[in-house]
Amino acid sequence: MHRTVPSLPLAPSVKVKLINAGFQVASDLTDMRPLQLCKEAGISQEEAVEVLQMLRDDGQPHQQRAATESLTALDLLHQEQALGSIVTFCSALDNALGGGVPVGKTTEICGAPGVGKTQLCMQLAVDVQIPVCFGGLGGKALYIDTEGSFLVQRVVDMADAAVQHCTLLAEDTEQRQALEELTVEKILSNLFLVRCHDYVELLAEVYLLPDFISEHPEVRLVVIDSIAFPFRHDFEDLSQRTRLLNGLAQQLIQLATQHSLAVVLTNQMTTRVSNGQSKLVPALGESWGHAATQRLILHWEGLRRLASLYKSPSQMEATIQYQITVQGFRDAPEEPRPTSSSSAVSSPSENHSKRPRMEDLS
Amino acid sequence: MEWEQLDLNPRIIAAVKKANFRSAKEILCVSGPDLQRLTRLSKTDVQRLHCSVAAVVRESKPSQLIRGECPVLEAGHRLSCACPVLDGLMRGGLPMRGITELAGESAAGKTQFCLQLCLSVQYPQEHGGLNSGAVYICTEDSFPIKRLRQLITQQPQLRPDLPPALIRSRRFSDNIYIEHAADLEALQACVSQRVPVLLKRGLVRLLVVDSVAALFRSEFQADEAVQRSRHLLAFSNILHRLSHEYGAPVVCVNQVTDVVDGPNPGRCDYGLVGSKVLPALGIAWANQVMVRLMLRRLPGQVQSDSRSSATRKLEVVFAPHLPRASCLCGVWEEGVRGIPDDHSDLQPQGSS
Repeated sequence: MHRTVPSLPLAPSVKVKLINAGFQVASDLTDMRPLQLCKEAGISQEEAVEVLQMLRDDGQPHQQRAATESLTALDLLHQEQALGSIVTFCSALDNALGGGVPVGKTTEICGAPGVGKTQLCMQLAVDVQIPVCFGGLGGKALYIDTEGSFLVQRVVDMADAAVQHCTLLAEDTEQRQALEELTVEKILSNLFLVRCHDYVELLAEVYLLPDFISEHPEVRLVVIDSIAFPFRHDFEDLSQRTRLLNGLAQQLIQLATQHSLAVVLTNQMTTRVSNGQSKLVPALGESWGHAATQRLILHWEGLRRLASLYKSPSQMEATIQYQITVQGFRDAPEEPRPTSSSSAVSSPSENHSKRPRMEDLS
Repeated sequence: MEWEQLDLNPRIIAAVKKANFRSAKEILCVSGPDLQRLTRLSKTDVQRLHCSVAAVVRESKPSQLIRGECPVLEAGHRLSCACPVLDGLMRGGLPMRGITELAGESAAGKTQFCLQLCLSVQYPQEHGGLNSGAVYICTEDSFPIKRLRQLITQQPQLRPDLPPALIRSRRFSDNIYIEHAADLEALQACVSQRVPVLLKRGLVRLLVVDSVAALFRSEFQADEAVQRSRHLLAFSNILHRLSHEYGAPVVCVNQVTDVVDGPNPGRCDYGLVGSKVLPALGIAWANQVMVRLMLRRLPGQVQSDSRSSATRKLEVVFAPHLPRASCLCGVWEEGVRGIPDDHSDLQPQGSS
């Protein structure tokens, strides 16, 4: 209920007292009890009871209206499909994700250092800007950097490659027109960068996000790289950390659904020892595992980089291979032999993935 | 925290004071419903409170919500490694902010590389330096002062691209501040008290820790991994803060551990397949590092002007802006120089 207090059918003196006590919207009043209300607002008990009664009666037509406004599952499906997704330029990963990183959901990317999390985030920040006529979203991106690993040099490489990719694809006049505006400078200027040095700054930034997004409705992607970094030291009280992280997760999912944007979070890996065996698991604890809608784990297997879709409500679990080139996040080169787990032996065909990069640079 | 500076209804400010909140951090760490309960304010009031406190927090630290050009990031400026081949490998040199780690076995040449950086930082910006000095924290051996003197006299040979008058005019040894830290406490005291003073005065803009592994590996037992992690994270947090606040590259030298078993899923090997050694201190430290370099000694010799040196390979293990690449280099009288050889990484991984 969003009715403001001045608009309620009450006596003016009562309304004045309510407003002075700080009640602006009808929803502020609904959880109050009569005794509480009369103490807070300074109105008599009968007046308090009257106010609450009036609100309750008022509420019911709202409820009936809500029933007719409810969505069917088919409507939801259409809405979701209309939202679209952000391509990653790695077709295997896009297929595994069902088109790309979905808009309206939170996606978490976990991985060991150096495996490519920041590269994927930067790639998404460039890809969200691909014009609609090329199959992209034509939106802007907000990049919240907590580690300081955002280097403009690298984004310029990726932006350059994206523009060239689109140039090769341009067929009709609409696409060519859109291409004229798509330059590296434009891509950089559509990327909002924020640096947060500790968790308090990150919390503050997330509180300010709804206002920022309302001022910049073209933003379709919010990246937090990484959410683990500020939360992994100087937390004596781990339960407070869990509480703060849960609160953050809720705010972010609300942001994603209300403003139809994609939220991408990066997480680190930590070692967990169980039964004398150690394995790498995503950091921030067990309860954080429930925070994001989708979870992608990037890991090394010998020389190969693999991405596993670990948790997703709509897609099947899958593991695909990718590589990082000068142009950014791409598909792995074709392998002549079937993939097997014994990839510790490096063969000339696997070194192949390294060679194009050196040649590009030389 | 001065609550009056917030742009809020005095009633809200009074409620906040009454509930005994003293800092912005306390307000931001409490959720909406909890804050409603503690201050007895309404939901919209609490939202407004959160937003205005958040705006103040983002105001006092420079809110770098930047469009396009990032002036504070000095887009593109790097600390040169004093050798064009090495600079080519690093696409310019070391980034201004963040921790660069140099890992390697003993006698690989890590200290040589760090000494070279301490001299390179003193040149003006147009020659790849930062026009400032360096702090060198030794935790293992005493500082190699004789070698530093030798490098200083040989600078014209290492940097033929610089005008000799420029080199002669620099008082190199005056601008290198040497600290010895014998234990963890001394190290913490050094980086949290003495180094910030030097950075604030602009006397230094490079911090070298040689090495970070020595103290952390010796002062903790094998089963005290959790305490070690905690101290390591606290230490790296200080380094990060200093690096970002003053725009000063931080170079940490790391040791290596032997790889005794084969590929182990519980241990991340960063794609270094077939390598017999991995950087020490585990994944907890690796998560704090932005650029990881490994220096290895290879069999054989490299030549330069009819002088020879044992071959080394400088490899980029990971970095946000660099591909996995490597180059051969050697250590000579004038310092570390890379070999401009196109066949540098045709060798299979197993050779090291």
